[in-house]
Amino acid sequence: MSWLSTLAHDAEIAVFAAVGQHGLGLTETLGRQRGVRLVSSPRHARVLLVAGEVESAQARALERLHAQIPPPRGTVWWQAPRLFERGETVIGDDPGEAIRRAAGADDPEQRPDVPPHPWRGMGPHGQGGHGMMGGNPYGRPMAMTADDIRDGLTLDAYSARFGPFLPALPPGLVLDLTMQGDVIVSAAAASPPYPQGPEGDAPTLCAARMLRLMGIGPRAAHARGALMALPKGSGMRRRLAAWLRGETVTESPAPPPNALPGREWAEAVLWLASFPPSRLRAVCPEEAA
Amino acid sequence: MIDALFLTLSALAIWSGWRVFRVDSMVRASFLLMVSFIAVGLIAVLLAAPYIGIATIFMMAVEMMVMALFMVMFMMNPAGLNPMVMVHQHRFAVVAGIVAFAGLTAAALLSDLPSRPVPESAEVVRALGHELLGPSMLIFETAGVTLLATMIGAVVLSARSGRYGDSDAGSVPPGLTPGGEPAGRKPDDGRGRPHHHGGQ
Amino acid sequence: MIAATFALLLSLPLLVWVAAMFDRIGAGRGRVVMAPLQNGAALLLRPNTETEAPDQLNRLLAPGWYLALALVGLSVVPFAPGVVASDIATGLVLWGACEALTVVVVFLHGWSPNSPLPLIGAYRYVAIGLPAMLLSMFVLIGAALPAQSLSVAEVVEAQRDLWNVVRQPLGLPLFMALGLAITLRGPFDFAEGAELAGGASAEESGPALAAWRFARAAMLVAFSAMAATAFLGGYLGPVLPGPAWLLLKTLAVMAAAVAAGRFFARMPPARMLTFLWVVLLPLSFANLALVGVEALP
Repeated sequence: MSWLSTLAHDAEIAVFAAVGQHGLGLTETLGRQRGVRLVSSPRHARVLLVAGEVESAQARALERLHAQIPPPRGTVWWQAPRLFERGETVIGDDPGEAIRRAAGADDPEQRPDVPPHPWRGMGPHGQGGHGMMGGNPYGRPMAMTADDIRDGLTLDAYSARFGPFLPALPPGLVLDLTMQGDVIVSAAAASPPYPQGPEGDAPTLCAARMLRLMGIGPRAAHARGALMALPKGSGMRRRLAAWLRGETVTESPAPPPNALPGREWAEAVLWLASFPPSRLRAVCPEEAA
Repeated sequence: MIDALFLTLSALAIWSGWRVFRVDSMVRASFLLMVSFIAVGLIAVLLAAPYIGIATIFMMAVEMMVMALFMVMFMMNPAGLNPMVMVHQHRFAVVAGIVAFAGLTAAALLSDLPSRPVPESAEVVRALGHELLGPSMLIFETAGVTLLATMIGAVVLSARSGRYGDSDAGSVPPGLTPGGEPAGRKPDDGRGRPHHHGGQ
Repeated sequence: MIAATFALLLSLPLLVWVAAMFDRIGAGRGRVVMAPLQNGAALLLRPNTETEAPDQLNRLLAPGWYLALALVGLSVVPFAPGVVASDIATGLVLWGACEALTVVVVFLHGWSPNSPLPLIGAYRYVAIGLPAMLLSMFVLIGAALPAQSLSVAEVVEAQRDLWNVVRQPLGLPLFMALGLAITLRGPFDFAEGAELAGGASAEESGPALAAWRFARAAMLVAFSAMAATAFLGGYLGPVLPGPAWLLLKTLAVMAAAVAAGRFFARMPPARMLTFLWVVLLPLSFANLALVGVEALP
């Protein structure tokens, strides 16, 4: 397999960025970094890059993320204090060298490989569940039927926690969602987005983030179509258009627990991305959970 | 070669058909059923009926996909995380299955099937067209219009803009007397809490 | 027939490589030629991931099925008069079956890891993939009408005087929508979009992910060859030999598909569903009606 390794030697390094406080602007500069590719799932990554400070309250989530990167894995703390003893810290503006070193690193497991809910040996088949839909089979809560909020049909509802490092959500935002398919039935914000400072609200960055969620790059020709693709009536078009014109948006959203139910996942994610991070942070209570 | 293929595909069709009732997940069951149909479709291809065979594969792929989609949507546990039994009314099903199998086998073996090879030059499509728009026109048109009406009715009934207003706004029929009780069937448990099937 | 199969198997990896190059150009990234190979090699050296209680069999087989469907779909495309890997009279129906099974395979790919984001991706992909497939059926029937045959070879021969892209101008753009859907691309990538953090493939890594991406690119090759055959006259063309024309046209469609994937924004699925049923499907009916009127003697 040596020829495969030789070929892989010059490959781009797949990096998953866990964005912390004031990390959004930092992460955007990574696109210009040669030989580095940002990926959207930790499973696809080789290196975990923590960009900006992460509060110790979310150390557990970060450790889980670290464990989700398939071994061998490396870690880089970019302008961020270390929360666990893995990888190296970068203070300057260019993490390139550290990322290249981390691509050769082999961090040991940070968390033991155990399911979030114990299940082994429980229930009639040892799968952790009981009946047809009870319990936590294989460590996950089973989905339950509940009335659909739109038409009252009884469909499966599934509750899970999303965030704080899911790339589609504003960094730091932790949402406890109950979903039916991809429709959000109820939402609670367990933790607000991280402060990003004024550079987080910069129109170009905000527009680029929103366009990326829609699968296109930030070019003017694309953007007209992107406006058409957004659903009417929720102000998303207006805000994206303002950002594309280079104006800052100062609208404040309704609190997510009120605004998200009834929206389907892609729409909810776009809706969250259509507000400046600072405004979104202002309407999420600090200690909700 | 063809015989070997035929036997393999038949075995696959029967085996996957049997597995449909043995697996513990509804998604697996629907796709095993699809595999069974695909094997049957390929047998049809072997029998020199390529259109029927491939169309069967095509249709079954779509149908089973829709079925699996609805299972994920509506049903608890489509993945079989908690093992579940895929059969109901065991004894009745066994008897019905044996009777149906025996009946079909008897029909296939005992009936005197006509053997009239179609001449190469026969214009089957033209003949079919004359049949459809000739003597059998009334039957086919009746069936066609009925099916179309059913489809439109199903769409109207399931649409959000219901017959008596938007479904998410209640869609309650008007009363029989001015200001009276809404007409029609009453929902049995009101529009209250979701009913749970066991579990926590 | 055996020679054609052989040629197909040999050329597919190369065309997959070209497809990956187009993708890099589309994404505006450098090192166009070598990076796909290098990144693929790096991915092959990474481990696969385990998930809790997955459907092992389907998880393992999904990339293989996807690749197999691309190959079967590609096999009905004639390279030159009489040179085709699977010479059946109902080639267009076989291609249709491949489309339908692709939706199934993508669903299984997202369903089998037993994880929420992949499941959401798989599930909403089905909702979009089925109408997109319906659309392509009407469009392909349109392509078959002038040939009065479901055989792909006949469809090509019927374009000797006039290519279908001129005769039925709505056909190719509508068929492109299907191509974007079955190759999980751009505005139709509801399985693996950025808003789901990788969606149906979010839990995959290592060789499994590499195989899936290879199969996805192979499906793009198959789709492009089919579109070139059904609408751009396939191997027909002056001076150059037939296979060369087919190759050129396939590459052109491939580039167009990559560009379309980068150009059009992805709508939220509910909006896309309305768009498909209310705008694109009626357009395909209109296309079929036009073709029918034209085909009347």
